[in-house]
Amino acid sequence: MSDFWILLTGALVASCCGVLGVFLVLRKMAMIGDAISHSVMPGIVIAFLLSGSRDSLLMMFAALLFGLLTTFLIQMFQQSGIQSDASIGVVFTALFAIGVVLVSLYARQVHLDQDAILYGEIAYVHWNIWELGGVNMGPKAVWLLGTTLLIITTVIGLFYKQFKLCAFDPALAAAIGVPVALFHYLLMGLVSMATVSSFESVGAILVVGLLIIPASTAYLLTDRLGVMIGLSVAAGVASTFIGYGAAVVLDASIAGCMVCAAALLFVIAFLFSPSHGIVIKKIRLRKLA
Amino acid sequence: MGKMYKSNSALRRFIMTIIFLTVTAVATTACGQNAADGENGKLKITATTGMIADVAQQVGGDYAEVSGLMGAGIDPHLYKASQGDVKKLDDADIIFYNGLHLEGKMAEMFEALEKRKPTVAVSQNLTEEQLHSAPGQGAGMHDPHIWFNVKLWISATEVIRDTLAEKDASHADYYKDNAAAYIKQLEELDAYAKEQIATIPEASRILVTAHDAFGYFGEAYGLTVTGLQGMNTMSEYGSKDVSKLRDYLVEKKVKAVFIESSVPKKSIESVIEGARQLGHEVKIGGELFSDAMGDAGTVEGTYIGMVKHNVDTIVAALK
Repeated sequence: MSDFWILLTGALVASCCGVLGVFLVLRKMAMIGDAISHSVMPGIVIAFLLSGSRDSLLMMFAALLFGLLTTFLIQMFQQSGIQSDASIGVVFTALFAIGVVLVSLYARQVHLDQDAILYGEIAYVHWNIWELGGVNMGPKAVWLLGTTLLIITTVIGLFYKQFKLCAFDPALAAAIGVPVALFHYLLMGLVSMATVSSFESVGAILVVGLLIIPASTAYLLTDRLGVMIGLSVAAGVASTFIGYGAAVVLDASIAGCMVCAAALLFVIAFLFSPSHGIVIKKIRLRKLA
Repeated sequence: MGKMYKSNSALRRFIMTIIFLTVTAVATTACGQNAADGENGKLKITATTGMIADVAQQVGGDYAEVSGLMGAGIDPHLYKASQGDVKKLDDADIIFYNGLHLEGKMAEMFEALEKRKPTVAVSQNLTEEQLHSAPGQGAGMHDPHIWFNVKLWISATEVIRDTLAEKDASHADYYKDNAAAYIKQLEELDAYAKEQIATIPEASRILVTAHDAFGYFGEAYGLTVTGLQGMNTMSEYGSKDVSKLRDYLVEKKVKAVFIESSVPKKSIESVIEGARQLGHEVKIGGELFSDAMGDAGTVEGTYIGMVKHNVDTIVAALK
């Protein structure tokens, strides 16, 4: 059963990340996942210092709060004219540094960092079972990520046109009366929810990787948003399957193999994409000559 | 608008296809798996650290097949599970772990596993008085490096003995005999450590290492222990820590400091350099095993060999 649950969890993370990743890549904010993975640190430290416990629900709530704060600050700085990469950099390094300072001041002797407290590990998901009245309901991670995916697809599905317009042409969107800022914040809220719940279930590298790489792969393959989202999810899910297979063969880290598989798919798309692939372009040039 | 509608339904089709593919693919992989594997009558035991695996093998003897998750030189705080490790945990009849947050977030998983198979923290019988609390922290935060006080490790051995005897009652006497023999060796080891450390002149009984893993060791055998890093190998040491430790070395005329098998030695080297500039020569007394044992098959690859190595290294350098 362990294989089934690991793959299902991987597929759910890939789907959440695949959908949101597309919008982030289009808005040149792909590194936001990495940013959140660092900036939740002070949230965890403060929650620990206030409560003295490492209860995972509490930690996740604190992380979510700081995830939202991160995305909010990034969005705010960006709207006041700072480049998006710079505003991501400013916010997450500053927040992470606050976390490091807090640990060195108040909690030197304790294992206190995202790795020890927040980040889950995809290898263990199937042991972390949710029991309801003594009935085995399956891994907690599957429920958490399933709910997250449901929320993401509902929100994106309901406001698909608005999100699309805001991603490609925010000026036009504003001109025809779409509340652009609201949708940006909404998207960022979804991103921090998805990343924090995925961190808690499967760890950081898998989330950051699946948020960026499959969306970039899809970006190389199509110019249409709907297709790009579909391809992004497909590439993400395929990466989790290929990666898991590789992890079985190599007896290696599961999350690591999944991200490597995603990178491999990206390279293939980079070389052989019908529209952007460099090999295909070469062949086309040769035919012309 | 028509175009947008079109891509919207394309999106829906895509998502449906993906859900379908996922379900079928997952179902096929899941069916291919077979839980049953070779029953040779041996208890399958999986332990997190090498130290625990060693004890489990000593007690389990011919009736136990022990596999450890963290190999030689692996820092438990930085351990990442591989796919094979998942299998080891899945197949195990009994799981032993250290507890006291040594395994970080893995502990949550062990608590969940407890409902399904014997999953036991070897530190479970230790009392509040025997444990060190991490200074400045609330209750419940303890130093997890219990294996450095051989007395505490005897308690861990008893936990392992009782678990095996309960789970495999038909061989209970065998496990008890093995454990008794091993505990006798541990008691000799404890006496050996006390006796050896006592040969160091009292003023020189100062143990300086890269991270605070030796608290129990110092308390049990009468050494003052100072570390550069906090207990957590991840926490960063401040510049003040470096200069404080340097001044301490100079003031107490400490002869040697020690590096650790699972912690990079760069940090401790900077302290030595600092002391040298103040005119006090400190040498590296040798490498101690802290969070992990030596390679399997060597003397240091066993718990007893590892403790002996540490004691001998410390005595040779400080005497």
